[in-house]
Amino acid sequence: MELSISEDQRQILDALDGLAKPYASVPIHDISFALTSDALDAELAGNGFLDVAAMDDLGPETAAMVVERLARLPFAVETAATALVRPLLDPELPRPLCLVEDGAQGNAVRFLKPGATVVVVGAGGVRSFTASEAHIATAHDESIFAYPMAVLKALPAETEMRAYDVPAAQVLTQWRIGLAAEASGLLAAALAATVTYVSERKQFGRPIATFQALRHRLAEAQVVSNGCYWMTMKAAVSGDAGDAALAALHAQEAARRVTYDYHQFLGAMGMTLEHPLHLWTYRLKALIGELGGRGAQGLAAAEAIWG
Amino acid sequence: MNFEWTEEQRAFRDTLRAFLKAELPDDWESIAHHGPGSAEITRFSRRFCGRLAEAGMLFPHWPVEMGGQGLDAWYQTILAEEMWAAGEPRGAQYMNVNWIGPTIMRYGSEEQKEKLLPPIVAGNAIWCQGFSEPDAGSDLASLRTRATLEDGKYRINGQKIWTSYAGLADNCFLLTRTSDDRKRGITILIVPMDTPGITVRQIPSIIGEGDIHEVFFDDVVVPEGARFGEEGQAWEIISYSLRNERLGIPRYHLARATLDRAVGLLKANGRWEGEAVKIVAALAAALCETARNDCYAIVEKRVQDLPIGAEASSARYNVVLAERAVAEFVVEYVPQALIDAEPYLKMHHQRGIVAGIASGAAEIQLNIIATEVLELPREPR
Repeated sequence: MELSISEDQRQILDALDGLAKPYASVPIHDISFALTSDALDAELAGNGFLDVAAMDDLGPETAAMVVERLARLPFAVETAATALVRPLLDPELPRPLCLVEDGAQGNAVRFLKPGATVVVVGAGGVRSFTASEAHIATAHDESIFAYPMAVLKALPAETEMRAYDVPAAQVLTQWRIGLAAEASGLLAAALAATVTYVSERKQFGRPIATFQALRHRLAEAQVVSNGCYWMTMKAAVSGDAGDAALAALHAQEAARRVTYDYHQFLGAMGMTLEHPLHLWTYRLKALIGELGGRGAQGLAAAEAIWG
Repeated sequence: MNFEWTEEQRAFRDTLRAFLKAELPDDWESIAHHGPGSAEITRFSRRFCGRLAEAGMLFPHWPVEMGGQGLDAWYQTILAEEMWAAGEPRGAQYMNVNWIGPTIMRYGSEEQKEKLLPPIVAGNAIWCQGFSEPDAGSDLASLRTRATLEDGKYRINGQKIWTSYAGLADNCFLLTRTSDDRKRGITILIVPMDTPGITVRQIPSIIGEGDIHEVFFDDVVVPEGARFGEEGQAWEIISYSLRNERLGIPRYHLARATLDRAVGLLKANGRWEGEAVKIVAALAAALCETARNDCYAIVEKRVQDLPIGAEASSARYNVVLAERAVAEFVVEYVPQALIDAEPYLKMHHQRGIVAGIASGAAEIQLNIIATEVLELPREPR
């Protein structure tokens, strides 16, 4: 057992924090549903932060740390698929990567746009293609999930897709780890934003954070959110299918538990686009439904653990 | 990061398992489900802990100069996991090696060390902790059991409640009030439980036998030498002691073992079918593992000698969630096993309720998390 981060990892996270600092906050009143930054995206890719999984002494756990840290930013950046799945396929695959399951036609897909690499995973194996206008039904720049999203209209013929000699199960495992890592960061940021608000907002002559009705629910949220981080790290280190399914399950369960509460605690401010809370919570809502949601994660975990 | 046990740690766990297999009787599970405070386990523990001591596994985490092996907190955790999952054959004596012994070593007088440590290291000492009172539960510092120093003797009057193991204990680690200063007016006395004036009443409980009692002190007189530390030093001492016991019992480990066993039963009986049972089992497993990870993160801090803060409360709360989820799973999907067929499942189910109540209620943990982890402004008092 060794649960501390290494010196190399600390340096990477410090450098990442330095890079991300200009993107750590957004001007109030300047927030749309899905906030993105091409500049941040380019800086991350250019500096190799999304390629750490393949590096000696760093590996998937460092990639998960990077994903978790970046998910705390108000800007949505495609990191999880690139950092955790791409190394299994082809480190040169163009970003963003969009992960979909077999039969995903008609689904809204995160970060889908012309030029994106769509990775299809399922019984048919692991394949990819470059998305074009022909594959995309509707672009949802203002998707309610706070990610840039679009509906995947159709998949190309199998012969037009690139196939990979990688087991689908392995890709699903890394997908789940990425999902859990991203959710961990989102949960941390949403909790922090809520804590700040309730500590400042006064009613009845005192901060509303002094009322136990909020304190206990926020404390419970801290417990389940913090748990996500460690579940993610364990799964990233082990690469075990059961650990990954449990991490994703716990993340989706945590997200389900806290998202409405956080908006509730902000009162009417929680209904606005002026406060950035939705940038994290509405991304969490997208993750709640990914990979079939808690039910599918639960079944995958049960299969991996108990057969 | 590395979540794997080292070869030495695995070997240590294997040794413990082999020891348990050799030492526990065939009908052990039907004994164990009575609970660590029961007369049966208490009696058994005096022999078992003696054997454990002979094998060098009663207190391997104690410093070498105190007779231990100086092994780190990971070994203490492995020891606790294996013992608790086996139904805690150490009975009440787990407290001795976790905190009572180390506290005596640090704060006891030479006379107290000479008198109190040998039975502990021999595996033949039962202690109870006289902390809670009818009006001092979560608010422990409001305790009122009074000790008055008269002619070189302390006279004790008052009442304790919820005292585990009191009926069979040799000594009580007793918190008394010696002045009106809320925290600095509390003093520890080591009181032999056969001292005249002590009355113990076991409280019938749903969590097993011998776990909760009322203890009455009516003009109980002990020599001044029974004082442990200085007058008014109790709060400092128990703060130190409970740091050793911050995480307490590794309940996540038994919860997960219980869950695995329940799933095994369902599979054996052809009832591991359909999606619902699997999803609910997986949700419970996730809580067990997240509780385990949280606890391990704190053990790591202990090993590195880093300060442990309110994250211990966060881990404790996760343990409560895990215990409940497993107990609920068993009630929902394996209810018949709780009647009589599976003492192991029954044991967990009976005692699962304890996690959120004992050693600081779950709501107190939430208060601590709110104030110290989230740094929310404090509630007005």
